[in-house]
Amino acid sequence: MLSLYRIIKFSLQDIFRNIWLTIVTITILLLALFSINTLITVRLISDSTVAAVKEKIDISLFIKNETPEEEILALRGKILESARVKEVVYVSKDEAIGNFREKYANNPAILAALKELGRNPLSPSLTVMPVDFNESNLVINELKILDSPIIESRDFSDNTVILQKINAITDRVNEVGIFIISIFILTSLLVVYNAIRVAIYTHRQEIEIMRLVGASNFFIYFPYLFSALVYSLISVLIIIGIFYPFLSLLQPYLEAFLVDSQVGLLAYYIDNFLIIFGAQFLVVLVINALASLFAVRKYAKI
Amino acid sequence: MITLENVSKAYTKKNKIVKDVSLAVKPGEFVSIVGQSGAGKTTLVRLLIGEELADEGRVLVGDWDITKISSREVPFLRRQIGVIFQDFKLLPKKTLQENVSFALEVCGAGAAKIKKIVPSVLKIVGLEDKARRYPHEVSGGEQQRAAIARALVHQPKILLADEPTGNLDAINADEIINLLLRINRFGTTVILVTHNKEIVNRLNKRVVTMEQGRVISDQAHGKYLL
Repeated sequence: MLSLYRIIKFSLQDIFRNIWLTIVTITILLLALFSINTLITVRLISDSTVAAVKEKIDISLFIKNETPEEEILALRGKILESARVKEVVYVSKDEAIGNFREKYANNPAILAALKELGRNPLSPSLTVMPVDFNESNLVINELKILDSPIIESRDFSDNTVILQKINAITDRVNEVGIFIISIFILTSLLVVYNAIRVAIYTHRQEIEIMRLVGASNFFIYFPYLFSALVYSLISVLIIIGIFYPFLSLLQPYLEAFLVDSQVGLLAYYIDNFLIIFGAQFLVVLVINALASLFAVRKYAKI
Repeated sequence: MITLENVSKAYTKKNKIVKDVSLAVKPGEFVSIVGQSGAGKTTLVRLLIGEELADEGRVLVGDWDITKISSREVPFLRRQIGVIFQDFKLLPKKTLQENVSFALEVCGAGAAKIKKIVPSVLKIVGLEDKARRYPHEVSGGEQQRAAIARALVHQPKILLADEPTGNLDAINADEIINLLLRINRFGTTVILVTHNKEIVNRLNKRVVTMEQGRVISDQAHGKYLL
């Protein structure tokens, strides 16, 4: 207990009496953590963007006018039997015209043309949502062979090509993204490792003196390991303090960019708080501790 | 107390720093080891505190055979031997009192023991009034006295002083030597490594002279020969 108290005392004394070194070390840790969190956010935004684009792709079946609603609902039920289909939204004639009017509320020419027509020209439709948007092609194939007399037309002729392109881009982005993130994380970790080694280099005389006055290894190593713990904890707490307001500021811009899409950056960080920041804390702590151990060992060989 | 039997040490194959040195120091002795730079004096000190291991021969300090000492035993050996150096080796971010306490704290000594011993050793070296000052706030002589106080807190049987007056003026050097003599009178074996001719001649104690790694003279009441 006394030893633990002294280790904490030596460590805190060292942190406060070498306050500039402490600030520089924590700043380097912060820069590394900020880079990593920015990459996580960029990745999240790109994933959300791709998902939003995919959701915009309609897989719709247009139903013949005057088809009784029960037959349409029966067809909806039949489509829903497929394991690849998550949801089938039935849009009636009236809803379709309502949506149309809402969409073109600011376009009087189109609304005037509709009025001129004097009737509802839109057909009822069934919009199919796949369980996995990457499997849209398979859903489309199932719908292509679906035989029903009430189907007027099927609107997914161009989607196959678009989906293929999006999937190809997504795969490429993932490959390049993982490579860049790996390089970035590795660089950040090396910078952190080196910063700790430099910090301990400035304590080489102290380590030498500890050895000369007969300090045990426990007393030589543990104050530095405790300092590593303090540096890691402070830097992760500060990054949490910086990143949450940053995400709150970013969220409205993102919502405006990805209209109708649910992109909750802040919610994602809150939901995965322990995984994201707990993992960062552990990784930074392990790197700090390893750097401290190797550096102290170098100067304690007296 | 200290026995060296045919001890040799080389840092490179061609360059032996210490060559076949045999020496015995009795408890309570005051021994000056003299010689020019590169004679092997400091290497001898490093061999005695386990900082270096001998290539040949045996080094015995008390009950310890340092040629066979394990790294786990080194801290315990160093608590038996007080060491002071030319450059004082004080921690600049700690006060003189903290520097002295530090030697006890890192060895796990209890708070009560530290509270009792530290003020008394600071009093012995005459630093009780400057205990709360940092090393850069006191003179070189006072820094060396603080280093001696730190070396004394373990109540060592042996005190090794490696050029302790090298960075000091004549008055401060005299004060340090007088302090070492006082410590010796209390029964501590003192080994003084120096190339200060006047100090050695004034002491009139045992003098071991080294040249090119060898002991060339060992006189009970010796003078500086070189």
